[in-house]
Amino acid sequence: MTSPKRLSQEHQRSLTRRLKARDERALGELYDVVAPWILGLAFRILQDEDEAEEVVSDVFVQVWRRIDQHDAGRGPLVPWILSIARNRSLDALRRRRRWWRKSALLEQAHAVEGGNVAPAAPHEATVPGWPLHREVHAALAALSEEQRRVVVLSYFEGLSHGQIARRLHQPLGTVKTRLRMAHQKLTEGLRHLKDWVE
Amino acid sequence: MTDWLGMLAAPRTPRPELKGRVLARALAPRRRWPLAAAAMITLAVGGGAWWAYHTIGTLTAERDGLAARVHALEDTVSTFIHGPATQLIQIPVSTGGRVGSVTIFADSVRHRWLVRCDGLAPNARDQAYQLWFITERGMATAAVMPMDQDKPMVMGLEMPGADQRVLGAAMTIEPRAGSASPSGPVVFHRLL
Repeated sequence: MTSPKRLSQEHQRSLTRRLKARDERALGELYDVVAPWILGLAFRILQDEDEAEEVVSDVFVQVWRRIDQHDAGRGPLVPWILSIARNRSLDALRRRRRWWRKSALLEQAHAVEGGNVAPAAPHEATVPGWPLHREVHAALAALSEEQRRVVVLSYFEGLSHGQIARRLHQPLGTVKTRLRMAHQKLTEGLRHLKDWVE
Repeated sequence: MTDWLGMLAAPRTPRPELKGRVLARALAPRRRWPLAAAAMITLAVGGGAWWAYHTIGTLTAERDGLAARVHALEDTVSTFIHGPATQLIQIPVSTGGRVGSVTIFADSVRHRWLVRCDGLAPNARDQAYQLWFITERGMATAAVMPMDQDKPMVMGLEMPGADQRVLGAAMTIEPRAGSASPSGPVVFHRLL
């Protein structure tokens, strides 16, 4: 069992500085800390291990080449990387939706999950950032069921407001209101998150 | 803060070999071949365009020159054929068992002849047709015409000087290099 690694705000700033200085070892350290989360997010969206690994690879290429675009003033490094991972995963998902067969498999996978966010397997609890994972889960759990569903559909499936409305058979205005309320609650609930906490 | 939602997904332990693959790809030098290929294509297209422009210019100039020459020749021929001082002489000939003709447009103003030969038999390899002006002073050579192929022949000739009045024309078969005076078989002999 590896011991959890701490990625404090100072550590993130240090990593960012070293990455911008083209320190290759910093990229390896970053991988050790965030790769499990990128892989988990990509797998959650794509439900395919190989494609998820490809996303991880794409993300690190982009981080290495575009680290200068990260504005520390606008937020920590990890959420920036996760947003890249999400966008890459959704791009891959959209490409894949052209293939009806795989799309059907994806629908089955989502049907099994029922739109709920499955708790992580216990043996994964050793990866860095695990307490943060629990806090985000707790913030999501604080939402109403309706709000939670629109957040998951928006974030993990990349659906537009209109697509969510059609999927849930709800008026567009209702979906927008639920999303706005959910974001307000999440922002409030996660406002304190700046560091990975153990 | 919603960027933290990525942490909702359960983390997954990457396969051990993934790290090496990911870092190797991220740290690999960026391939510049698309840029190089674009530059090569641009150069090729530019070079091709320059070559085409240059070639078209050259061919256009050549065409214009040829068109001017054709126009000048048409003028000359037209002058020969339709000029008021042009005398037309048609002479039937028989060579090598076939019947042909020699047509002479004689321009007495410009002192030039236009001669067209049709249906003449090709010469033996060591022979040629030789055309003669018949003048007051005797026979003066006009042209040596080796004919190796069975096809019409046209030529323009300058007449002898004003001190040699041309009385007629003759054609003989002579050695390939021509003769100073007629010595071979006569194809025709005609006074104007």
